[in-house]
Amino acid sequence: MPFKKRGFFFILDAVLGMTVLIIGIFLVTSSYVNAPQPVQVSLLSDDLMDFFSNKKIKELNNPYAGIGGQLWAQGIITDADNSLLQQVGEFYAKNNIDTAEKFIQNVSKGVVPEQFRYEVWLNGTLLYPKTPSAEHIKSKSGTGLLLTSKKLTFGIINRTTSDLWGPYKAEVFLWER
Amino acid sequence: MGAVKTGMKKRGIFFTFIAITLMAVFILVFTPQADISLKKDTQAVASRISSIDSYVSDLENNYFETILRAVSYKAVLSLIFYMNSTGSFLPNLDSAFYEVAMNGTISNVPIDAITGKPLMEGNTLSNWSNKITKTAQDTLNVNTTITLINASIFQTNPWSIDSILTVNFAVKSSVASWEKNSTIISSFDIGGLPDPYYLVNTNGNYISYIKKSTVEFNQWNITKVREHIRNGTYVHWQDSKAPSFLMRFTNTIDASACCGIESLADPNKIIPSDVIDSYADYILEDPLNDVPCSELFNITNPATGGGVWDEFRYFKLDFNNTVRYNITSQDAIGTC
Repeated sequence: MPFKKRGFFFILDAVLGMTVLIIGIFLVTSSYVNAPQPVQVSLLSDDLMDFFSNKKIKELNNPYAGIGGQLWAQGIITDADNSLLQQVGEFYAKNNIDTAEKFIQNVSKGVVPEQFRYEVWLNGTLLYPKTPSAEHIKSKSGTGLLLTSKKLTFGIINRTTSDLWGPYKAEVFLWER
Repeated sequence: MGAVKTGMKKRGIFFTFIAITLMAVFILVFTPQADISLKKDTQAVASRISSIDSYVSDLENNYFETILRAVSYKAVLSLIFYMNSTGSFLPNLDSAFYEVAMNGTISNVPIDAITGKPLMEGNTLSNWSNKITKTAQDTLNVNTTITLINASIFQTNPWSIDSILTVNFAVKSSVASWEKNSTIISSFDIGGLPDPYYLVNTNGNYISYIKKSTVEFNQWNITKVREHIRNGTYVHWQDSKAPSFLMRFTNTIDASACCGIESLADPNKIIPSDVIDSYADYILEDPLNDVPCSELFNITNPATGGGVWDEFRYFKLDFNNTVRYNITSQDAIGTC
């Protein structure tokens, strides 16, 4: 009888020990799975801002915003050397906010992975999305990690009269849905 | 029995105890928290430095150049309007340009108040420096100190004005600081600007806008001369005796080796229309540069019906310009 009890306690002890090991390994490995996320999101917000500030209209192959596109044909875009951010700034300076929103939506299509949401602000005004949905607002306020990238932008509104706009503060906010 | 119970207790927690100890060590060694936070901090600093470095580069290579071009254009235009308002040439273009571009004043009076044209208000180099300093503080949380040393204009090309700005600037943030001395050069086209020489000499009655002629130097003939006068276009001749656009601000009617430009005055727009002088603009209005009648030609020939007097009566040219514009005896006769 004492031998049977001793064996039972050994088995119970081994099972407890095994349980502790399994829980411990699970906790450590799951924390590894979550760790890389902040780095990726941080880079993504900078990448999006770099895309807006470095890409020029003349480098854009886009039927809406590129050279010969819809906005170009209508005379709304006139300077092919403008960066996308400068073009957004020019729209803002000319109080053409609706066009700015459509422009951002169009040129950034496919640039940001679908699992992320983003906003573009200029001089304290939300340009994209101009009117955020309830879902968008809830997603932003509920996110655990909201990252931003900021840059100054300025440009020429009229080359003939040498009128300038800016300098404005441009901000990109990005987070996971 | 009691001895057996004690032994069983000790052996009963052996594996559990070992497992807990192993897990404690395992968690301490492999939890990624410490490693990631270090990387995150390094990345945050690198990202911030990169952002500010990009701003410094933008400031030096784009911002100053853009504002210099815009401010220089507005300052030159303001000076032309100022000369039109005062009816006199500038005694010193460099000092006038410096004061207007830096502060928007001339002799400490706001130039916009004199000209009635709101060109310089909020558009001086000082204004734009303050704007970028404020926006950079707001955007990147950096202190930018800009010291504008000097600004001047000159010409190396007949059809454009170069402006040069010497500036020192420092950018300081919590992670790094930058200090630079820069010389910024930009240029703008003079096309479309009123010629101050015409404005002052005619008390603002004859406004001639700079417009470059498209005629090649060896393609001139009487028809093109007629269009040249009608359109008020300007031409640059190699080895011409004409002054540059900037020399016209100070009534310096000397030959400019690089940049002399000239137009032909329309007799219908000057009073009196009949002047015994060449109608090349820099000769016409210069009392020290009268052409002797032996070298002066009426650009008309009643015998052949040639010339331009049917449209521009009394139009005359000096010998050199008659040759340059390829006007032959078919269309010209001597005045004496």
